[in-house]
Amino acid sequence: MHIIGRFPLFYSYIGYGLCGSIVMYLIYWFRHGSYPYAFWLYFLLSIVVEFAVLVEISDHLFEPFPAIRQLGRALTISISFGLGVVYILPTILYSSGRHNALLGFALRASLTKAAIIGALLLAARHYGLRLEKNVAGLILGFSIYLGVNIVNFSAEQIFSHLYARILWVMSPIAYTLCLTVWLIALWDFVPVPGTSTMSPVSRRDSEAVPFELARFNNELSKLLNK
Amino acid sequence: MMTLIYAAIAIAFLILVIGFLRKALLDDPDEALTEKSYAASVGNGRWLDLSERIFDPSDVRWLAEELAFPKLAKILITERRRLAIRWLKALQASFDEVVRTPEIIPNDAVMPASTGSWQMLWLTVRFKLLVSYALLVVRLFGPYHRLMPSIAWIPFSRESEYSLRREALAHSRSSR
Repeated sequence: MHIIGRFPLFYSYIGYGLCGSIVMYLIYWFRHGSYPYAFWLYFLLSIVVEFAVLVEISDHLFEPFPAIRQLGRALTISISFGLGVVYILPTILYSSGRHNALLGFALRASLTKAAIIGALLLAARHYGLRLEKNVAGLILGFSIYLGVNIVNFSAEQIFSHLYARILWVMSPIAYTLCLTVWLIALWDFVPVPGTSTMSPVSRRDSEAVPFELARFNNELSKLLNK
Repeated sequence: MMTLIYAAIAIAFLILVIGFLRKALLDDPDEALTEKSYAASVGNGRWLDLSERIFDPSDVRWLAEELAFPKLAKILITERRRLAIRWLKALQASFDEVVRTPEIIPNDAVMPASTGSWQMLWLTVRFKLLVSYALLVVRLFGPYHRLMPSIAWIPFSRESEYSLRREALAHSRSSR
């Protein structure tokens, strides 16, 4: 239960995936005609929910550091919004046909998520942060899923009829692989690294951080204004 | 062709992620940081005096104009530029060290929804932008270039400055 409380959005997403799949099977068996609409609705909602999971991952990445605690969230929201407007929206508005619009949206949303993960990892690397096993596993699983999705959707967009059957198999395989990584990574709860794993040079009172940040800014501003 | 490009992007992305995660899980994060030089203490007066000396052009002018050693003055400028870059990098490394200060919270406790965390993020981003800008200016124009662009050439600014001075003068006269 400990780990569910720590990653509530992620477990909600898993619950959504599980319940959604059951509902999809029921629709497929009993209301076959409605299945395509139900599938796309479920699929589009899952793309949006995945952004929420990314926000949760980004929060956990920088959690122990008060100065950059919101950095992950800021990066995730700004990249989502920026690429959403200039990269994802045009494909919805200007694609020829619903099929292309949906595939284009899925492909570009996957690329946007990959860009967010890349930016988060670059920021984490820049500050020399050590990742905990749970968060690293979440990122790895998501990355495998996104990587396979990018190739799948681009292939489907170009070889639509030839690739349709392969996509039907590849998407569940990618998701199963992703779930396996998540299962291993989240099997046991690994707490946030304690002080022993933190930098010895950074052992200072965290309450003094806002004042230190302000002081650095003041000194630099003074230098720039000379 | 497009599929190949996307496949290349996906493979590059996965390699990047696996590489980063491997390093983040296995490496000691302090290894990279120990290589950096830190500012001894920004609050330390001697450290700030050093910046005053590095960014002060008076001795270069003295060397070039009063003693008439322009070549030596040029060498001094090159050395000062190198020192200024090192000073700014050390300042940045010390700032990063402050940023990496962890807040110790028991695992059972919920992270505090600090209202100041967005402000702290702003201070962090602001500092990063300013120091990158300062490094760029020092690299391109040297340590004695004005770091903040002057707006004195804009007629409006000169006029407004003049009117502000005039108002201040009038105010001081009327208060006598």
